[in-house]
Amino acid sequence: MNGFTAFLRKELLEHVRNYKVLILLSVSAIFGMMSPLTAKMMPDILANVKVEGMVLKVPEPTFIDAFVQFFNNFSQMGMAILLLVFGGLLSQDLAKGTLIIPLSKGLSRYTVILAKYAAALILWTLSYVLAITIHYGYTLYLFKPISVGHLFFSLFCLWLFGAFLLAVLLMASVITRGTYGGLFVTAAGLGILLICQTIFRMDTFNPLKLVSENVALLTGKAEFDQLLNIAWITGALILAALILAMAVFKKKSI
Amino acid sequence: MNILEVRHIQKNFGKHPVLNDLSFSVPEHSIFGLIGKNGAGKTTAMKMIMGFLKPTGGEIRVCGENVAYGNTATNRFIGYLPDVPEFYGYMSAKEYLMMCGRITGLKRLQTSKRIQELLPLVGLDGIKRRIHSFSRGMKQRLGIAQTLLNKPKLLICDEATSALDPKGRKEILDLLSVAADQTTVMFSTHILSDVERICDSIGLLHEGKLALHGKLSEIKNTYRKEAVRIETLNEAQARRLLEHLHALSFIQSVERSQNAVTVQLHDPQKNGLKIIDVLSDEQIPIMNYELLEPSLENVFLDVIK
Amino acid sequence: MTHISDYLPFLIPIIALELILALSALIHILRHRSFRFGNMFIWIIIVLFFQIIGPIIYFTIGRGEDE
Repeated sequence: MNGFTAFLRKELLEHVRNYKVLILLSVSAIFGMMSPLTAKMMPDILANVKVEGMVLKVPEPTFIDAFVQFFNNFSQMGMAILLLVFGGLLSQDLAKGTLIIPLSKGLSRYTVILAKYAAALILWTLSYVLAITIHYGYTLYLFKPISVGHLFFSLFCLWLFGAFLLAVLLMASVITRGTYGGLFVTAAGLGILLICQTIFRMDTFNPLKLVSENVALLTGKAEFDQLLNIAWITGALILAALILAMAVFKKKSI
Repeated sequence: MNILEVRHIQKNFGKHPVLNDLSFSVPEHSIFGLIGKNGAGKTTAMKMIMGFLKPTGGEIRVCGENVAYGNTATNRFIGYLPDVPEFYGYMSAKEYLMMCGRITGLKRLQTSKRIQELLPLVGLDGIKRRIHSFSRGMKQRLGIAQTLLNKPKLLICDEATSALDPKGRKEILDLLSVAADQTTVMFSTHILSDVERICDSIGLLHEGKLALHGKLSEIKNTYRKEAVRIETLNEAQARRLLEHLHALSFIQSVERSQNAVTVQLHDPQKNGLKIIDVLSDEQIPIMNYELLEPSLENVFLDVIK
Repeated sequence: MTHISDYLPFLIPIIALELILALSALIHILRHRSFRFGNMFIWIIIVLFFQIIGPIIYFTIGRGEDE
C-alpha cells in the first residue's frame, strides 16, 4: 500500500508539473461554458450567415440543445484531448527508463499499472465533474429547464467511455514499444469500433454507443436497457484490459 | 556468507550467446569489481540479478533467496544504480528520495530522517532545484543516495563512474568506499584504475564467462612478473647496458625503448644486486630503478589475449 | 433580436481561459527553447493562432524533454 500511495502521489505530481492538469481543467471549463453558449447563440450566428441571399430560419434553441453541444464537444474533441494528454502515460516511463529505479526499490509492477490508472482516472473525473458543474449552471441560467430522462446515467455513460479509453490506452502501452505506440494502437482500436458501429451495425455490445446515444437518452429515444447492458460490458472490458496489462507488464523486460 | 551467488547463468539474445555458463559469488562485506570490455555482458548480468531480464538458464540467489524474473522479492535486499540513471526531472532530489523511501517500505518519518543523513553524504544538501537541471555527477550521486535509502545488504552499481570526469569519478569512488563499511558492493566498470582503487576482489568477464575471479591481491601475486625496469640518462648508456645484460645467465629477456631497459629475470631480489654490480662496474649512471608491479591492465590484457 | 455582443459577459471567461493556455505555452516555449520537432517560430505561431488545440499539441507532443 505504501508503494501505491507513493507512486500515485508521483503520478499526480507529474500531471500537475507537466501541465496535464492545466490543460484538462481549462479545456473542461471552456467546454462547460461554451456548450450552452453556442446553443444559445446558434440562431444569431446563423442569422449573420447568409446563404445565397436567404436568411436561415432556426427554431429557438432549447435546454436539450445545450446538452447536444456538450456531448458533441466531449465525445469528439474531449476524447481526442484525453488521448493526447495521456498518450505517454506508461510509454514515456518505459522508453526513458525512469521506471528502473522505482522497480529496483521493490515497487510491484501491478502497482505501477494500478497507480497510473488511478491517477489518470482521478484527473479525468475531476475535469469532467468541473465541466458538468459549469455547464449545468450556465444552462440553467440561459434556458428554461425542462424535465429530461436519465440525465445522470447519460452523463455517466460518457464518463465511463473516458475510463474505458484510459484502460485501453494503458494496455496498449504495455504491449507496444516506443513513446507513441500505445496511442496509435488505441486510435486504431477506436477506428475498429467505429467501423463495427457504422458499417456492420454491431450495436448491442459496442462501447462507442456510450458516447453516441447520450442525447437520445435524455429525450427518451434510446433504449435504456440496452445502454445499461453496454455500460456493464464496458465495465468488464475495463477490468479485463487492466488485468491483461498487469499480466503482460509483469513479464516485460525492462 | 555469500550475499550473491550466480550459478551457471546462460543468456542468449536471439542466437547470439552473451553469457555462457557464468558462475561467481560475492562474499559479505567485500567490494567486488566486475570488469569486462564494453559489450561483455556486465549490464546484462546485473539486470538479471535485479530480475529485469530473464536468464536463458541457471539460477541466481541473493541473500539465500532465489531471484524470480518480473516481480522479485529479493530486490528488498538490493540497492541498484543503473549505468545511466534516469530520474523524474520535474521532482526535486528530496521529493524523489521521499518517493523511493516510501516505495521501499520505510515510514514517512524514517524516510525523512534517512534523507537528512544521505543528502549531506552525497553533497546534495540544500539543493532545491529540480532534477532536470542536475549535472551528470549530481545525478549519479543522487542515484547512490537512492540506493542507500533502505540500508541494502547488496549495492549494485553499473558503470557508475564511466560517464564522469576525473573529479566526479573520485567523488563516486569515495562514496562507494564509505558505503562499503555497511554493505557489500558489486560494481562494474571497464576503467581498471577505478577497480584497483577500491575493490578487494574482482571478476573478469570475457566471452560470457568469468576468465578470472578472486581477491585482487592474490590475482596480482599470481600474475606477478619478475621484472626490473632501469632508466639511464641517455640512449647510448641504455644501449651499453643492454649489451652487458645479454651476457648474464639469469636474464630471461631484455628490451630497450629509448633510455629505458626492461629486464625479465629469475629471483629479482637476489639477482637484481648483480645488475647493480654491472651498473657500477661499467659506470652507467641511472635515473630510476624499479621492481615492476603487475598492473591490473597487464593482467587484463594477458587473460583476454 | 439579440446580438453576439450581448453575450460578452459569458464570452470573457472563455477568452480569458484560452489566453491563459496560450500564454503559459508561449512562456514555456521562450524559457525552454527545446522541441521534439519543429522550431520556436513554428510553435509560437501554432500556440498563438490555434486556440485551445495549439497549446495542447505543444504541451503534449511538441515540447522537448526537460534537460
